[in-house]
Parts: sequence; C-alpha cells; structure tokens
Amino acid sequence: MRWLMSISPDTPAALHRPAHKPGDMLLPISLDTPPALHLQVQSLRSPGATLVQGLDIALPAGAVHTLMGASGSGKSSLLAAVCGTLAPTMQFQGAVHVMGLRVDHLPTRARRIALLYQDDLLFAHMTVRENLLFAIAAGPQAAREAQVAQALEEVELSGFAQADPATLSGGQRARAALARALLSQPQALMLDEPFAKLDVALRQRMRALVFAAVRRRGIAALVVTHDPADILDAQRVTHLGAAEPT
Amino acid sequence: MDPFLPFSSFVQDGAQLLQHAQFAQALALSLCSGLAATLLALGASACMLSTGLGLRAPRKHAALLPAMLALPHVAFALGCVLLLAPSGWLLRFLFTLLRPLADAMPWPLDAPPPWQSTQDPWALGLVLVLVCKEIPFLLWGALAHLQRPDVAQAWAAQMRVAATLGYSAQSAWWRVVWPQLLPRMAGPLLAVWAYSLSVVDVAWIIGPGAPPTLAVLAWQWLQDADPAVRAQGLAAVVLLALCTVLVAALAWMLYRMDVRWLAPVRWTRGPKRLEHAKGAKGSAFRATLGRCLLRTLPALYALVVAALLWGSVAGAWPFPALWPQAWTLQAWQQVLGSTSVLGTTLWLGLASAGTALVLAVACLECLPAPWRAALFSAAYLPLALPSLLWAIGLQRLCIALGWDASAWGLWLAHSLSVWPYVLLSLQGPYAALDPRGAQLAASLGRSHVVYLWQVQWPLLRAALAAAFAVGFAVSVAQFLPTLFVGGGRFATVTTEAVALSSGGQRSLLAAFALLQWLLPACLFALALWLGRKRRFAQPLVARGLA
Repeated sequence: MRWLMSISPDTPAALHRPAHKPGDMLLPISLDTPPALHLQVQSLRSPGATLVQGLDIALPAGAVHTLMGASGSGKSSLLAAVCGTLAPTMQFQGAVHVMGLRVDHLPTRARRIALLYQDDLLFAHMTVRENLLFAIAAGPQAAREAQVAQALEEVELSGFAQADPATLSGGQRARAALARALLSQPQALMLDEPFAKLDVALRQRMRALVFAAVRRRGIAALVVTHDPADILDAQRVTHLGAAEPT
Repeated sequence: MDPFLPFSSFVQDGAQLLQHAQFAQALALSLCSGLAATLLALGASACMLSTGLGLRAPRKHAALLPAMLALPHVAFALGCVLLLAPSGWLLRFLFTLLRPLADAMPWPLDAPPPWQSTQDPWALGLVLVLVCKEIPFLLWGALAHLQRPDVAQAWAAQMRVAATLGYSAQSAWWRVVWPQLLPRMAGPLLAVWAYSLSVVDVAWIIGPGAPPTLAVLAWQWLQDADPAVRAQGLAAVVLLALCTVLVAALAWMLYRMDVRWLAPVRWTRGPKRLEHAKGAKGSAFRATLGRCLLRTLPALYALVVAALLWGSVAGAWPFPALWPQAWTLQAWQQVLGSTSVLGTTLWLGLASAGTALVLAVACLECLPAPWRAALFSAAYLPLALPSLLWAIGLQRLCIALGWDASAWGLWLAHSLSVWPYVLLSLQGPYAALDPRGAQLAASLGRSHVVYLWQVQWPLLRAALAAAFAVGFAVSVAQFLPTLFVGGGRFATVTTEAVALSSGGQRSLLAAFALLQWLLPACLFALALWLGRKRRFAQPLVARGLA
C-alpha cells in the first residue's frame, strides 16, 4: 500500500478526504483564494507497477514543494503528469488545478506550467536571445525584445544575447534556461533535478536565483531532487516510497 | 515485358530452368560472387571501423562517405572497366613501364594482352566492384548508430573501461563495440547480400559473359518474346529470392548459435591477451589494414572518377599509348544535347526524392515509437528483395494502377525505390533528437507545429538535406525500375550508360557515367551547404565590450 508520507500543513481540510474512486469527476475546489497549484493523485501507474497513490499537494503562490524518493519511485513521472508529458504507457488518475482551473485535460502548451530539467535544453541552432524569444507569445517586436533584455539582465547574462549557447558555461546555460522558462509567464514551475549537473558553488547560486524568482513572481514550484539541500521549506516535502508491483 | 504469366505456365515452363545448360554454372557464379562480395565488404568495413571511425577517428574519413555513396554502381563499374580492361589505362601504364623488358615478355607489348581482366569467367571484377561499392554503404549503416550521441557516448565510455582493464584500443573495439554493432547492421548486411546476389546492371557491365550470373540470365529471359522463356526468367528470379532468404536465415542461425569456430567469436570473446601477445597483434593488424583501406578506398574512387573524366574527353587513343593523341569535347556536347535524357533524370530524381522525403518525415513525425521500429524493419524489405523481383513488383503495381509506361508510373516506382534509403538516412538523426525538447516547447506555450518549424526541422536541416541528396542519388542510379516501368519510353543517364556499355563509344559512355556521379555530387554539395553549421556572432562580453 502506497501512501503520502507528509501533507502540506496549509492544505485545506476539505481536501483530506478519502481517495477518489476511479472515474469520479474531480471538480475545481471552491476556495476564496485557490492554491496556485493543486495536485490530486489517485494513482500513477507504469506497466506492472503502481508508482504513486493517494497524494494531495496544494501550493499557494510563491511556495516551493520538494519531492524526494528513490530512483524509479515516480518523482519525474509525477512532474510529467502535471505538465501533460506523461508517456502513453503510463496511467495517471487524478486532477491538476492551476489557479483553481482544472488543467489535466488540456494539452501541455495550454497549462501554463513551465519545465526545467537538469539539462538546460537550449536549442543549439538559436542564439541565447532567440531561445528566449521562443518562449514569448506573439506581440510587438520591440516589446518582446525588451522582455528578453530584462530577463537576461535578471539572470546576469546581458552581454550574451547574441551568443551561441554552446559557448556558455554550465551556470550561464542554466540561467538562460531559467530566464526562458520564466518568460513564458508560467503559473507553476516544475523542476526536475535542476541543479544536479552544477558544481556546489553554482548550485547554491542557482538555487537562490530560482527560489527568489519563484517567490517574486508568485509561481508555485514543484522540485524533484535527491539533494536535501534543495529543500526550501521543511514543511513542504513529500517522500515517495518504492514502486509496488501490480 | 509482360509479367503476367498464368501460374500453370510459370510452373511448367519455369521447371525448364533446371535443364538449362547454363543454369548450374550461372547459379554457382551468383552465389559465390554474392557471398564473396558480402563477406569481404563486411570484413573490410569492420577493419575500417576498428580504427575508431565514428567514435574517435578524424571525421574527414566519414566526411568522404557521401561522395563515395553518390557514385552509382554503374558509373563505378564503367570506370573500373576503363581502368582494368586489357586496353585500359592501368595496363597501358604497366606496359609503358615494362617496355625495356619487351623481348622477355610472352606476348607483344604493342597490343592489348590476350586475357580477360574484366568480364572474367570467375567474376573477380564483379566482386571487386561490389566490395568497393558496398563498403561505403555498410560504413554508412554503421555510422548511423555510431554517430548517435547516446550510443557514441556509451560505447566510448565502455572502451575507456576496457582500456583500464588492460585492453588495447583495437582489442577493446573488437570485444566491446563490434559485438553490439554487428546485430544492428543486420539490415544493411541483408541489403548488401540481396543486392550482390541479384545485381543486373553491374554484372552485365563487368561480370562474366559466358555464362553470366543468374540475375543477368533472368533479365535476358524476361525480355524474351516467348512466354515460356519469360516463365523461365521469372522462375530464376524466384529462385534468387529463395536463395537470398535461405542464406540470410542460415547466417543468422549460425550467428545465434554462437558457432565457436567463427573467427569473430574468438576475436571478440576469446581469453584476454597481453598487449604484445600473438592474439593481440591480430587486432592491431586488422586496424592497420583498416587504416590502409580508409586511405586507399577514397583514392580508388578518385582514380575511377579520373578515368571516367579522362575517357570522356579522350579522342583517338591507340594501344599502348599512355595519353590520347587528341582531346575532344564531342561526347560532352552530345550528352548535353540530349536534353530529354537529362530532363527525365533531373525531374525524376527531384520529384521522387522530394516525395520520399515528405513521406519519410511524415512517418517519423506521426507514427508512435513501437510502430516506428516496425517501419524501419519494413524499410529494409525493398532493399532485401532481388532487384528484378522488386522491379517486376513495381511494374505489376503500375499496370494495376493504369500507370504503366507513363511518367506517373515512373515517379511512383522511383519514389518507392528511394523511400527506404531516405527513411534509413533519417533514422539516426531522428533517434538522436531529445524528446524533452518537444515537451519543453509545449511547456513554454508553443504548439507542436511551431516547435517543428522553429526548432526540430532547423536542427535537422543538415540531415534532411542529406537525405534528399541520398534520395536523388538513388533515383539517378535506378536501372531496372526505369526500364521495366518506363517500358523503354524513358531514358535516363543510367539507362543510357548501361545501353552504351556494350558498344564501342568509349567517350560517350564515360561522359554519361560521369554525369551519373556529377548530378548527385552537385546535390550532395548543395546539401552540405544548406546543412552548414550556423555561425554565431561573438558575444559583447567575450569581446570585452560589455
């Protein structure tokens, strides 16, 4: 039997209800201020195993929740389920609400949930500026350019707009990827071991930068990590147990 | 050439094949030349790969592959004939060197020697051409795996581990990489075997003549007006298909059964040998051989192209003169004057390569992953079929559609023939794409179409351009589908070159053969230019301006 080992203390009491039966309709929660991100998991299954069952995470704007657990416990799959990028072989039953709106039936691009992996995934054929422009919706060119310039300044990459991403250092690439993710104006941010490939000093700096941006912009963030140093708030940690064969 | 024969006639007249005077010898020639060409090409490719090609060797060798692949089999065979024939350039060169010893020679040096250095009865010339032409194809098939970043990184890391365990780089390659690479090359190997066994145009040009290989006999019989002879030809084609399947199945069984006496098993899983021990020297020797081949094969291709160029502008050239008495551009004027031949070759190549590219990209973009794997296996089917059987199948399809002997039929036949090559050349680049890129773009709010246009296809620009060039080259080289489906009404540079190969117009033949290479080479050059890496401006910070 899999269970949630810790639940955020500010999760509304109404949400501590028995797990939904498969097929139940999960309606938006009626709260005055809905959580920025509300994840209700009845079950997350891979072929032959149940990875997560009965999980409920509600995050207010600007909060960071950490998911920890052994490899194969379903942490990254859970992020994929939130973003809508779950492999077709996996099965997710539950609901994802962003600012009170249910989004799990929407395609990834309509969910307003940004993703950051441990690899920066900057597009190699584009300059840093073009990578950032890619995240901004259509609009007047001058306004888009101004947004890019401001974002680059925020991550201390002002002089690198026209640079080839391949020529940047690991830390610079990670900051460019963060700037790109934030430019898409997300309401939630999923971080899949985002600092794992950085050295200790860079990791601390990047962590501070990410958490400050999340707080400043009022974005709910879900962090998957193996590193206890990535825990921002000890009250907002979920440890996932090992997968159970079905 | 009506391929529709009643089944009873096929069985009755086809059985006559076994009684045909040339049948047994032709079949033996086909089997021996096909097997020899496949095994030699495989061995040579393995030795070349063991030098680290694709993993750590300089990329310049891999960069020469498109140029070698662009040279069609027919053009290569014709170039070899110009070089190796009794009146060819190599013997002229040799006879010039031997002139001081003329009195001691068993034959006069002022006439071509009385031996068959091409169209020899043992099919040695055919095997040589096939080996030289199939090596680049096998290397291309191997590099599709070796140049995938995930595979290359994993194998390079495994090689480093083997080195820390005391193996030389060559031993490590044979023991770590080759056993993993060989099963992945089953498809290209099957294609090489099927092609070598059933090739018609190359065997017609440089293969034995009396008797020829069974594929050439079958082709001749299939063109006969007598239905009984055509049935015999069809039976020979079916027999070649059976031989292809049986030998391939046998080879696979031997491989699966881990037959201990197979040399590669000893090389790849035998006891560990010290660096300077006898066994370890074997892998060093194979690597040396591979390095030699890496240098000599491109040189041989350059020599063949030079022979074609030379032959196309040579005027009167009596034996044993080393240089022609006169130079002429008459052949080129004639070639460039045949606008219908050039036009047909160009539109057919461009249309079929374009169609195949669109089709291949659509398959790769739309099919789910498990289907893709099945698709890649299916793509080898046309390559693994005897070329005559494939051409007959295409002809039947076009007849059924009412497109026989029409431009539409020809376009369809070429597109279907080209599609597997285009698909397989895109297999590696598509596999190397990080699927998280699409997920990331979606998480940034961009549609999949925007991702394709702005990210994926620009990233794959070089691969897409190269795949188009491969498709064009394959289309230009098509002989049997053009002949069978076109019904003789459409001439391309390849059909012209093969038709001229039995005549005496050396310069015209060389010009058409060279054009067979020049057209795809131009497309490959264009593809390289289109796929060139983007140059980024140096950032202000790096220039000290910010």
